[in-house]
Amino acid sequence: MMQDLAAVATLTAVSKRLGGKPVLDRLNLAIGAGEVTALLGPNGAGKTTSVSLLTGRLRADTGEARLFGLDPARPAARARMGVMLQAAGLPDVMTVAELVTLQSGYYRDARPVPETLAVAGLSDLAQRRCGALSGGQARRVHYALALCGRPDLLVLDEPTAAMDRASARGLWATVREAAADGAAVLMTTHDLAEADALADRVVVMDAGRIVADDTPAALRARAGGSVIRCRTILPPSRAAILPGVREACVDGAELRLVTADAVATVRTLLDADPALTDLRVHDASLEDAIASLLAADERIAA
Amino acid sequence: MIAHALPSGIWRRECLAEIRRSWRLPQFLVPTVLTPAAFYGLFTLAIDKAPSPDAAAASLAGYGVFAAIGPALFGFGAGVAMEREQGLIELKRVSPMPASAYVAAKLAAATVATAAAIGLIYLLAIVAGAALSPEQWMALALLHLASTIPFALIGIGVGMRMSGKGAVATANALFLGFAVLGGLWIPSAMLPGWMRGVGEFLPSYHLGQLARAIVGTDTIGSMTVHGALVLAMTGLASVWAWTGWRRSPA
Repeated sequence: MMQDLAAVATLTAVSKRLGGKPVLDRLNLAIGAGEVTALLGPNGAGKTTSVSLLTGRLRADTGEARLFGLDPARPAARARMGVMLQAAGLPDVMTVAELVTLQSGYYRDARPVPETLAVAGLSDLAQRRCGALSGGQARRVHYALALCGRPDLLVLDEPTAAMDRASARGLWATVREAAADGAAVLMTTHDLAEADALADRVVVMDAGRIVADDTPAALRARAGGSVIRCRTILPPSRAAILPGVREACVDGAELRLVTADAVATVRTLLDADPALTDLRVHDASLEDAIASLLAADERIAA
Repeated sequence: MIAHALPSGIWRRECLAEIRRSWRLPQFLVPTVLTPAAFYGLFTLAIDKAPSPDAAAASLAGYGVFAAIGPALFGFGAGVAMEREQGLIELKRVSPMPASAYVAAKLAAATVATAAAIGLIYLLAIVAGAALSPEQWMALALLHLASTIPFALIGIGVGMRMSGKGAVATANALFLGFAVLGGLWIPSAMLPGWMRGVGEFLPSYHLGQLARAIVGTDTIGSMTVHGALVLAMTGLASVWAWTGWRRSPA
């Protein structure tokens, strides 16, 4: 991949082993300014490790991580980054306002604290001690800590997990605003609707490598056509040769087909298995596109 | 090129926040602050029914160093293991805050706790008749407060490398070892030779000897050497704490 001049964070040919197992394999990734990048992939794909390398929590075995041109382990490299961690705690005895004030003090051009609290929906909880917050409220505090410094790179690890719908939508709006102001946003998520709604660019990872890197629209187009789901005795190997079918796999108790010609496929499918039930046909979604990519990747690996 | 500079005052704000935070966790602080005074009162003053003012002052030297070890090793040293397990260090590590500010905050809060602990001991010593000049009190207080630093750094290094439970157990063992082998409870001159030998490798021994020199009681060896060794050991302890921060998992 070309080193983008506007890239604020890059991984170049980075490999990392954790606990003796390879997690990342000569990975290249550049995060550009003004762009929301969503990192998707199954558990163990290397998303969190990639984020850890970019935020200075881990060091690469080989290759290079750069944050604003510096080694992410240096505090100065992190001066313009805000991070929302997934599993981090909060100091129980500090109040929300105290913690946000302390964190704002790490940044040169921080937002006023009341503004940060308002954006994160925490104004009413400012004097509450962190130990007395609910899970969703604690997530909002982490979010406030990430955005209080008006960062040029916002890193969000599963940002809306454990958040209620309204809070999540508020977060989405702020993320869009930050990107419109020129910030780079890197997020990991399991919620594909979230990726589809927010991301300008989706990077799909599997087994330590990038298997796709494109806009959500382009990825949907790549999956193409329609998705058919049904319960049938027909094995995927037989379904794969039906007219129009590009891809056939078993998904739980169901057969899942991606087809360029839904009508032709359904007609022959019903002929092949008259006892077929639970037939559904829908347009390929981002989720389908990614499922197809990962399935294809698995076949190559196997 | 974009400015990477960090704002000023990070250290100061971090120290104040940590002191305020520890103030709100009295269950951690009260035992470490009270224990040394209780020991001093029991072993020096209560057992010896009519302690001579000189004896009260002599043991004050060692117990003051002992009072610095508790808060430094436990609350602010081994305590970082628990903070790590709760993901609090993670929060700091991805922020622009430099590691030095985190350590400075721990040292500052530990020093405040030490001040409370030695304040109690000094009160007991005065009640028992210890008579020191204002210069001696000043020098002794400075030495006792400074004693916090090497032990807090040792504790942070332990806390960065071990689980919360492991760190507390290790801190306990070190606490006892530093106190006994360093001659803080029983003067080193009265200890068996091998214990004295081990003690020479511990900062508690050298700090204890410096404190004994200040109160004007009998000492072993050259004070310049003791001072130099304390500085060298503090340097090693900073490396131990720093590498712990760098390598600590997650």
